[in-house]
Amino acid sequence: MSAHGTRGAVLRTGLTKLGAETRFLLRVCGQAVPALDHPRLLIEQIYNAGARSLVIIMLCGLFVGMVLGLQGYDLLARFGSESALGVAAALGLIRELGPVLTALLFAGRAGTALASEIGLMGATDQLTAMEMMAVDPVRYVVAPRFLGGVIAMPLLTAIFNSVGIYGTQLIGVVMMRIPAGTFWSQTVNAVEMRDIREGVIKSVVFGVACSLIAVYEGYHAEPTAEGVGLATTRTVVTSAVLVLMLDYILTAMFL
Amino acid sequence: MSDRAEGAGEPLIHVQDVHYAVGAHSVFSGLNVRVEAGKITAIMGPSGTGKTTLLRLIMGQIQPQRGSIRVFGQEVPTLRRRELFGLRQRVGLLFQNGALLTGMSVFENVAFPVREHARLPEPVLRKLVLMKLQAVGLRGAADLSPSELSGGMARRVALARAIVMDPEVLLYDEPFVGLDPISKGVILRLIQSLNRTLHITSVLVSHDVQEISAIADQTYLLSGGSVVAQGNPSELRNDTSEVVHQFMTGAPDGPVPFHYPAADYYAQLLEQ
Repeated sequence: MSAHGTRGAVLRTGLTKLGAETRFLLRVCGQAVPALDHPRLLIEQIYNAGARSLVIIMLCGLFVGMVLGLQGYDLLARFGSESALGVAAALGLIRELGPVLTALLFAGRAGTALASEIGLMGATDQLTAMEMMAVDPVRYVVAPRFLGGVIAMPLLTAIFNSVGIYGTQLIGVVMMRIPAGTFWSQTVNAVEMRDIREGVIKSVVFGVACSLIAVYEGYHAEPTAEGVGLATTRTVVTSAVLVLMLDYILTAMFL
Repeated sequence: MSDRAEGAGEPLIHVQDVHYAVGAHSVFSGLNVRVEAGKITAIMGPSGTGKTTLLRLIMGQIQPQRGSIRVFGQEVPTLRRRELFGLRQRVGLLFQNGALLTGMSVFENVAFPVREHARLPEPVLRKLVLMKLQAVGLRGAADLSPSELSGGMARRVALARAIVMDPEVLLYDEPFVGLDPISKGVILRLIQSLNRTLHITSVLVSHDVQEISAIADQTYLLSGGSVVAQGNPSELRNDTSEVVHQFMTGAPDGPVPFHYPAADYYAQLLEQ
């Protein structure tokens, strides 16, 4: 096949998949309101996607904050601006690192769990059984998990940011002896509402993207052990690439 | 060969001249099946003849390329999703592996269709579920999870779930596969008693000749994409055609060959 033919085939496959995902997103959104009839299911999914990711999110947030503290202090000290460490870390975390890293961690933990759970339900005929009992699996299984992920992501991002700033404070204030008053007052004064809005919008968009990819891949997985494994892998890879692409687009829009 | 349904009006399920293919592989080419109300109808045939596919066609999960499938007088392939879901509430399906929802207890599995389709008060729902579990002998297992059940128990829980909405028709997909003789006997007795006491029309897909012979009113034998024989079990046993004889006696070779089509054996061995 010629290079043009190969590129054309890849483009066609990509567009077909994008179209299928968009149709699936519309179907899931259409079932989102009926899915609220089962608040217990939704709460369960927020717990699964959110609460069960807390430890990894907090741990990673702490270390990312501490690394920012060390690197930031080293850089700012060259210009005699160590006191601005809190500002640099807070803005970096709230606008960029928090939403992106939380989304990547979410895809790795909650996204894979969602994809494999739904994929296994398909492989063991549970989704077909629901269809045969006149229950739409998209409403009962997919929509609550999708909504749970979308709700959990901004909450996890907020926790990641808070723990990250605390980590930077540990380095800046406790280790490097920046006065706590200076650190916190500069941070509070520098962070504006638009910074928080940018972070929140990013985390919601990433939440939609990561949750959609996870439920889509799980729902459309081949009903075999290998198929479920592949769906899980695709969830992580596609989510990571899409999050970074979307982050670039959103950052360009906000600046 | 008997065909008591012929001329007896519209059957409950009527499959007429159905053609279905997956890619280039033809599964059915002109399939005709009638399921009469209140009877136990068995669909038999060697593995891979499309018995389960027929159930999926009847339930509207897949569409035939040609032909008519009427259930309760409704043309299934033309039904909208909402109408199809309405029809499925009147038809129960027992999956080969039970297909129990693993995140729920036995009780919740049986209660699931009722919770989704009927807003019954919790005490009434509880009584209903316990009655269905009692019918399959598993009331004591109500709090167990599906992973704690044996294959036979899972099949019985699935049966309780299939009858909890009091369907008019029950479709069984290989109900005896992988069961020990005791569990087979239990399932056999349950199918019979459901048919007799609740007058549920039953369609069994199976290749267990002995079990089917014991309970079926009408049997269809599928092979090569269509019905090759039909009648009651004793008529099938006395059928002299090669296909029926091979299936009923379990002969390893015959019209259904032992060897998958392949190139010449010796030529392939001597190939450099």
